Amino acid sequence: MIEPTAGPLAWVNGSDAPEKTEINLGFMALSDCASVVVAATQGFAQPFGLTLNLKRQSSWASLRDNLVNGQLDAAHSLYGLIYAVHLGIGGVAATDMAVLMGLNQNGQSLNLSHGLQALGVTRPEALQQHVHQSRSKLTFAQTFPTGTHAMWLYYWLASQGIHPLQDVDSVVVPPQQMVAHLQAGRIDGFCVGEPWAASAVKHNMGFTLSTTQALWPDHPEKVLGCTRAFVEQYPNTARALVMAILEASRFIEQSDENRRSTAQLLGAPEYLNAPVECIEPRLLGNYSDGLGNHWHDPHALRFHGGGEVNLPYLSDGMWFMTQFRRWGLLREDPDYLGVARQVQQLALYRDAASAVGVTANGANMRSSQLIDGKVWDGSDPAGYARSFALHAMSASAPLLARR
Amino acid sequence: MLRILLINDTAKKVGRLKAALSEAGFEVIDESGLTIDLPARVETVRPDVILIDTESPSRDVMEQVVLVSRDQPRPIVMFTDEHDPGVMRQAIKSGVSAYIVEGIHAQRLQPILDVAMARFESDQALRAQLHARDQQLAERKRIELAKGLLMKMKSCNEEEAYTLMRRQAMSRQQKLIQVAEQIIAMSELLG
Repeated sequence: MIEPTAGPLAWVNGSDAPEKTEINLGFMALSDCASVVVAATQGFAQPFGLTLNLKRQSSWASLRDNLVNGQLDAAHSLYGLIYAVHLGIGGVAATDMAVLMGLNQNGQSLNLSHGLQALGVTRPEALQQHVHQSRSKLTFAQTFPTGTHAMWLYYWLASQGIHPLQDVDSVVVPPQQMVAHLQAGRIDGFCVGEPWAASAVKHNMGFTLSTTQALWPDHPEKVLGCTRAFVEQYPNTARALVMAILEASRFIEQSDENRRSTAQLLGAPEYLNAPVECIEPRLLGNYSDGLGNHWHDPHALRFHGGGEVNLPYLSDGMWFMTQFRRWGLLREDPDYLGVARQVQQLALYRDAASAVGVTANGANMRSSQLIDGKVWDGSDPAGYARSFALHAMSASAPLLARR
Repeated sequence: MLRILLINDTAKKVGRLKAALSEAGFEVIDESGLTIDLPARVETVRPDVILIDTESPSRDVMEQVVLVSRDQPRPIVMFTDEHDPGVMRQAIKSGVSAYIVEGIHAQRLQPILDVAMARFESDQALRAQLHARDQQLAERKRIELAKGLLMKMKSCNEEEAYTLMRRQAMSRQQKLIQVAEQIIAMSELLG
């Protein structure tokens, strides 16, 4: 018999100390990964007994694969990515997933090429006319088939009377490669996070047609995602991770000076590897669209908002399922509320928030009005999914007939 | 194919382990007596596993095992005739992953090696985790120290000191610990 020793993890028993102290944390090179990078590098995790190892990923697809295969414990994720994996959409087997917290809201945008600008396509109406009159289809890029950018692109186009799956082509391009694809003329426009849109504007290769906050003010964007198995196996670690990132989010928004320093940190080669001039302005809410318009955006990218940003509302998660349904990615209505309750880790989030003095409001749903005037409050997801004039919901009969 | 380093610490010319290994289809890439510098041998041969065949593990064997575990950690399986639980404890403490008393049967070798490798991996993982925890604690202490120094220098409160350090670190694309070390070094320099 081997002598029983007090294992190094014995100290964990009966305490709320993290079960796993070293976390591999995935992120994509985007300005909205800021709270994750700041938490990992600026001493926000050590007080909770965690070491965060940042792992930059080259595409959302590889981030997804590494989350599922366990190489990443948690990651800066697209809302729609987590739900697609959970529901088994997009060629991967369904794996139970979890959203630990919201990381940010707003701050993505839809951008068009200089070529379209030269044709006078600088307004939504002009784009709609162009799409319906031109013989060749335009090609728009987004970053992941079920990701937020695809959903913003589809929703926006549809709100302008353009069917995103019939009237235009869409392709998937990793965020950091958008500008190169635009320059090479392979795409006519794209929907992406910063600093890649600001970078296209700055290099005179395109212009910003619409921000995503114009589509939905304070829309949900990136989340802290992981597998459900991870939360179940390491609940204390998951809670500590949320606490550390909440504190980092609060810190970033404490002052403009903190936001500026954040922009500088993000520019480093190991994070965004981009000039600070492309990161800082929009991180501070200062927009230039490349058409000569400048404004300070009241709904710019935000990481905390006193906690409003971070609560993983059930209605936020459900919205993505309604859009999957609308665009035919789901053939049938899922149990919207049931699935959202499984994925959104509301109780764990509220524990973590109260432990670091962040207000976590008691509501599980929130109400928003989107660009087409529709109100989304989570109350009738199936009806909402069915309420759009433009959609790709195929009834099952014609689908069968086609086979 | 598993790379096996076999250490014969027996009086017999050809140990029984060697015979059992070849019967079970294992290939021994290197074989030595004990009068060697084991860590150096491991460094050269780079085996996946080390098997020690010994009638009774001596102090010398144990010392070699300790050195390997420290410098060139590998799964080590000890086959022996020694029943004394004290010796067995000593061997496990030195870093032996499996201690097999008597009865070397060719058909049991594979499971024995599997268990030894699995145990070794989990030990290594725990060790790495402990190391990370120590490092994390050490970093935390250094940051606290720097924060204290800064509070004195700037006569500011704790939160302000953290904010100053973080802003400095972020503007220079550094980690907080790097700025903390700079503050400590500077304060040592200025006495």
